Amino acid sequence: MSSQNGPPFSDIPERAGEPPSFDTTVSHPARMYDYLLGGKDSYEADRDVADQLIASMPSVPRTARANRAFLRRAVEYLAGEAGIRQFLDIGTGLPTANNTHEVAQRAAPESRIVYVDNDPIVLVHARALLDSTPQGATDYIQADARDPERILREAASTLDFSQPLAVMILSVLHFIDDSDDPAGIVRQVMDGVVPGSYLAISAATRDFDTDRINQAAGEFNAQRVAAQIALRTHAQISRYFDGLDLVDPGLVPVNQWRAPAGLTQTVTMYAGVGRKPA
Amino acid sequence: MSPAAGIGDGARAGSTVARMMLGGQLRRHREAAGITPDEAGYHIRASRAKISRLETGRARCKERDVLDLLALYGVDDAETVAGLLVLVSQARAQDWWADFSDVLPAWFEPYLGMEASASVIRAFDLQFASGLFQTEEYARAVTVLGHRGARTSEIERRVAVRMKRQELLTATDPPRVWAVLDEAALRRPAAGTPVMRAQVRRLLEVAEMPAVTLQVLPFSAGAQDAGGTFTILRFTEGGISDVVYVEQLTGATYVDKPDALDYHRDVMNRLASAALAPAATVSFLAAMLREM
Repeated sequence: MSSQNGPPFSDIPERAGEPPSFDTTVSHPARMYDYLLGGKDSYEADRDVADQLIASMPSVPRTARANRAFLRRAVEYLAGEAGIRQFLDIGTGLPTANNTHEVAQRAAPESRIVYVDNDPIVLVHARALLDSTPQGATDYIQADARDPERILREAASTLDFSQPLAVMILSVLHFIDDSDDPAGIVRQVMDGVVPGSYLAISAATRDFDTDRINQAAGEFNAQRVAAQIALRTHAQISRYFDGLDLVDPGLVPVNQWRAPAGLTQTVTMYAGVGRKPA
Repeated sequence: MSPAAGIGDGARAGSTVARMMLGGQLRRHREAAGITPDEAGYHIRASRAKISRLETGRARCKERDVLDLLALYGVDDAETVAGLLVLVSQARAQDWWADFSDVLPAWFEPYLGMEASASVIRAFDLQFASGLFQTEEYARAVTVLGHRGARTSEIERRVAVRMKRQELLTATDPPRVWAVLDEAALRRPAAGTPVMRAQVRRLLEVAEMPAVTLQVLPFSAGAQDAGGTFTILRFTEGGISDVVYVEQLTGATYVDKPDALDYHRDVMNRLASAALAPAATVSFLAAMLREM
């Protein structure tokens, strides 16, 4: 801890000149998600806020795991049946098992994936740990989901936008406030891709266990968090797919999208996949 | 499922992880019984420090001590006791470095065990290339620096340990080694030019290994908040927290307190963020090699 010749321990949080998102004293969605999935890359602030969220909403870890399982099933569908070979994964999160490129390249080694996240800690892990197959490619962009123009511009150095691709926006849009127009952001991204492209989304909802999750979100938002939660209804989340054809089974609870039968436990998140028509 | 499930299935699983799992369970039973480390130590005719080393997996333990402790903690469920005794026998397995105990300080041996069974090894190296990446000649030069006046035979044994450690990198299921190497380690020669050139070539080679991520921290990145070399070890086995290894001249510290772990992880993340990306590191090393 370089207390002998370097800056003392207590100086760390106040250091100037760091981007605020590298601030480990504010809980961040990607690191809380890592903690909810049983990872070890969170910090105390993330664990504290996540533990309080779990205390008021015990189904949250189950929902996080269900979301991760949806990622896998969605990419398997997109790389398999849908024949997609390019992925734009907005809101990557910290690397864990079955990352988008691993699932996609298992099905088709030549798949190309661009990861986007606004957390520099995610970027540094992604850059170091998410290796592509030699036939395919992976790239990493540090950008905010609220800046689709920049995402499209930078992704174009790895992805071919004259060909169909899949846009993944998982567990991200509930961290974008109405004032930032999440539906408008999605539209802007999908305007930049050709017909035959796909959109996969998962987003938190207040349709189930409503009183409890409203209360939990209120408590969450009252804390020092990098992004506040905005819970939405089925109708509101459906709007992200305006102009797209929803793939069966439509917008459904995240653990039910093309899942083995029998998964009926309550989760507070919807998921769906849509295709941009000709 | 046996309580020992999860270890012994990987090609590399060693006695250290068994000790760490055993220690973690002993600590949980002790805490559940409301017994202090002092009381536990007294019960098995040992010190509080011995209990601490046992519970963190840094000491070997006798079956009798474990049985005595379990009796003290009121653990008498036959299946639980049997499961713990399986761990005791796994923890006693001979490790390859037992043959080298004459040249290994007691404080370094636990590191070898942890390194051998880690799933992720994150290292920051300031003065020398990481031991896992050293060529034999470079390792010899560095070892001589640290053991002036030692007989050639002893130096050779120390170098042999280092070379043996490197077998990890080519194991069936190698750990992910993610290293940040300060430019200083490359610029300040630890040996003559031919040895340094060969070492840089070796770094270029390991950087291409699928399980290795190498990032050079260039002088141009400016000063960083890391006063020295440290290594973070991560284990896949459930319930074992990360451990930070910090070596001093005559000893080592093993850090596993949550707040201190957070801090070291934060510093490591900042170092990796300030360092050249893996691809740029390869160009940097190639350019350096041309200049040497």
